[in-house]
Amino acid sequence: MENNIYIIGVGGQGAIRLGQAITNYALKKGEKVKFFKEIGMAQRGGPVHCEIRIGEVFGSRIPPYSSDTAVVMELAEGLKALEFVKPGGTVILNRKKVYPMDMMTHPEKYPQEKEIKELFKKVKSKIIWMEAEKIAAKIGLPVAENMVLLGALSFVSSFDKEFMLEVLKKSIPRELDKNIAAFRAGYETAEGMDK
Amino acid sequence: MKKLLTGNEAIAEGAIESGVEVVTGYPGTPSTEVILTLLPQEKELGIHIEWSVNEKVAFEIAAAAAWAGKRALVTMKMSGVNVIADSLSSVAYSGCNGGLVIFVADDPGVSAGMPEEDSRYYAKSMVVPMLDLASQQECLDYAKVAFDISEKIGGPVFLRSTTDISHVASDVVLGEKLNIKRKAHFERDIVKYTKAGAAWCMAQHQDTLNRLTEASKIADNYISESGIKINKTHIEAGSKCGVIYAGAVQGNFQEALKRYNLKLSWLKIGMVHPLPEERIKKFLEKVDRVLILEELDPLIEAEVMRFAFLINKKIDILGKFDKTLSLIGNYSFKKIKKGLESLLEKKFEVEENYEIIERAKKLEIKRPTSFCIGCPHRGTYFALNKAIKNLKYKKDEIIITGDIGCTILGMSKPFESCWTEVAMGASIGLAQGFKWAGIQKPVIATIGDSTFFHAGIPPLINAIYHKVNLTVIILDNGWTSMTGFEENPGTIPIKENNNFRVDIKEVCKGCGVEELYVIDPYKSGQSIDIIMKAIEYPGVSVIVSRRECALQAKRRKINLPKFSIDVAKCTGCQICLNSLACPAMVFHPKTDNYKAFMEISSTCTGCGLCEHICPFGAIEVIKDGK
Repeated sequence: MENNIYIIGVGGQGAIRLGQAITNYALKKGEKVKFFKEIGMAQRGGPVHCEIRIGEVFGSRIPPYSSDTAVVMELAEGLKALEFVKPGGTVILNRKKVYPMDMMTHPEKYPQEKEIKELFKKVKSKIIWMEAEKIAAKIGLPVAENMVLLGALSFVSSFDKEFMLEVLKKSIPRELDKNIAAFRAGYETAEGMDK
Repeated sequence: MKKLLTGNEAIAEGAIESGVEVVTGYPGTPSTEVILTLLPQEKELGIHIEWSVNEKVAFEIAAAAAWAGKRALVTMKMSGVNVIADSLSSVAYSGCNGGLVIFVADDPGVSAGMPEEDSRYYAKSMVVPMLDLASQQECLDYAKVAFDISEKIGGPVFLRSTTDISHVASDVVLGEKLNIKRKAHFERDIVKYTKAGAAWCMAQHQDTLNRLTEASKIADNYISESGIKINKTHIEAGSKCGVIYAGAVQGNFQEALKRYNLKLSWLKIGMVHPLPEERIKKFLEKVDRVLILEELDPLIEAEVMRFAFLINKKIDILGKFDKTLSLIGNYSFKKIKKGLESLLEKKFEVEENYEIIERAKKLEIKRPTSFCIGCPHRGTYFALNKAIKNLKYKKDEIIITGDIGCTILGMSKPFESCWTEVAMGASIGLAQGFKWAGIQKPVIATIGDSTFFHAGIPPLINAIYHKVNLTVIILDNGWTSMTGFEENPGTIPIKENNNFRVDIKEVCKGCGVEELYVIDPYKSGQSIDIIMKAIEYPGVSVIVSRRECALQAKRRKINLPKFSIDVAKCTGCQICLNSLACPAMVFHPKTDNYKAFMEISSTCTGCGLCEHICPFGAIEVIKDGK
């Protein structure tokens, strides 16, 4: 079995931590794993993306049309994921826009949410909308946005939830309870949408 | 035991397992993490690990350690090999006693802006064998192989990776740690260690060539600890098509073989210099059509053409010369697929989403990079631009040469100060060239602290000696920040038993700079006045703009004042945003219920520049720093 997960966002959203959590989980499950990360100018608000490949794979990067699940943490960045999503695969779209400096004063230049959605439909993705930051904020830890998305992804990818929780408990340095709550909330939200 | 390691971490692990005793290097993407992984273990391992002042110094330290019998590793990015070349060519001639491994990481696809240089040329020109890494497991294995071969032949060995190997993590099987503790010993042998006279030099040249032949022989049948063959031939009976490949392309090539169920012969080359001539010739006997997969320049391809000529066989050779594949960028799955389709003269699948992806590419937004929140360089470039304006010069008539590292971000919006970026220390040399060419208006060089130590001092001395009228601004933030906050000689002492730092101001004084200033880039008013004075000075003037990297200061828990915007006073004019482009600023456009206004987010680190800029006094300190 091969499982390819593509994660994209911008600096500060915790995309790499999200990828690391999945990687740890898979490794502890005894799977073969490859983990690619592109950090670049993350400290300066630039795009961040990572790819996790689980199973018998050779290349470190996901070939076009091959990601089973894509997690789009920032909407406009999601456009870069279109080339990689597998027809029939799932994309988790986080309803979040981070404007670059020049768009703060001209938000109309930011791509339309509707069009992004249409494009994912055209490549035959199953779309799951999330408002991860809002969910995390309700728990009292807005930065746990990535944990909410990890929860949703864990449901979509049929990960062993309890096992993932065990892995998380050993690796989260701070605010463990809130992070776990964020994970559970994300999992349940995705589960609820599936019903 | 298995562990998830990036290529660079695996090289560090391999070096430890090899019993390395001296490790040196200079930071540079994508090579930096080898030493970053090793440094915290320095005490426990009881070995010497250091960030040296530049690659050449790092190499010389490693070389002498290897001459004294130790196993030594030196690390750098491809640009660093240019810097070590002078010493390397001599050391290669002399050979070594303990293993000497030079790790170099190339960056095809440019993950960090610099030329896409192919370091394999250096293996040829310096007469040094080179192992090319194709997987994370190889990183660990070949680090050990490199030390082994280096000691067997008695000469240095290159270990080369690329970004797609160095920065990807994969499950890697760890090996046993060799316990080597050697006593340092070096015998005087001027025939070997000096270059006095033609006879000695030519004898050393012959020795070097012999070592190369020996390395090739050893490598061709070498099987690494976890069972990887350095050079490996696979012959597919019934196929007349073949692939010869080396390096990072392996993953995507194997992926394509599996995905499209391709049956063809292939030859994997792990030692790219010297090439396994006999093995390649034998391979060419079996195929009529061959595709060469190697990133960057067609080094292997050119040699394959020569070998085909030598065996007098007409073979279709596909690669870069016939433009099947590009010299530019790294090889994605798509490119390799295209190469294989050309080789087999058929399409594996049609690209169905072409139009959708084109549309998405059009919609993609650019995220221009600026300085980090609180970056002191923001203050320096802000003051520099203001000083130029106050002196009644137009922005497009004052040449500002930039240098490598974070300081080059001064070329971006909103500052758009720097005009050039060449190499470590080059800003100061270039500035002199512009003056001698006859540029009448002031010329200004900007450079970072680590870059100044690396290669900025000789051009400064040159400018002083030749009395050139220029201004040098050294943006001293105390860290080698761009590559991940490594220490340098000017870093605030962080190590135990070391409270010494080299003061750049004193260095400049010692070099003979007479017009010398130190400014605090967080204090704009003062800085602008001093920069104006320095520019007007008819000779070499140097300004050390000193303030610790904001990210490091935050990590070290240095608290600065907290700022906030008085929304009632804020007019939403965006002057602060447009002049500073600080990522901590959030603009709220006008709504039906409220006027437009700015907000300072909690990520603000308190540099205070915006307070200075706001014409309405809307920005104020809400909490003092300490």
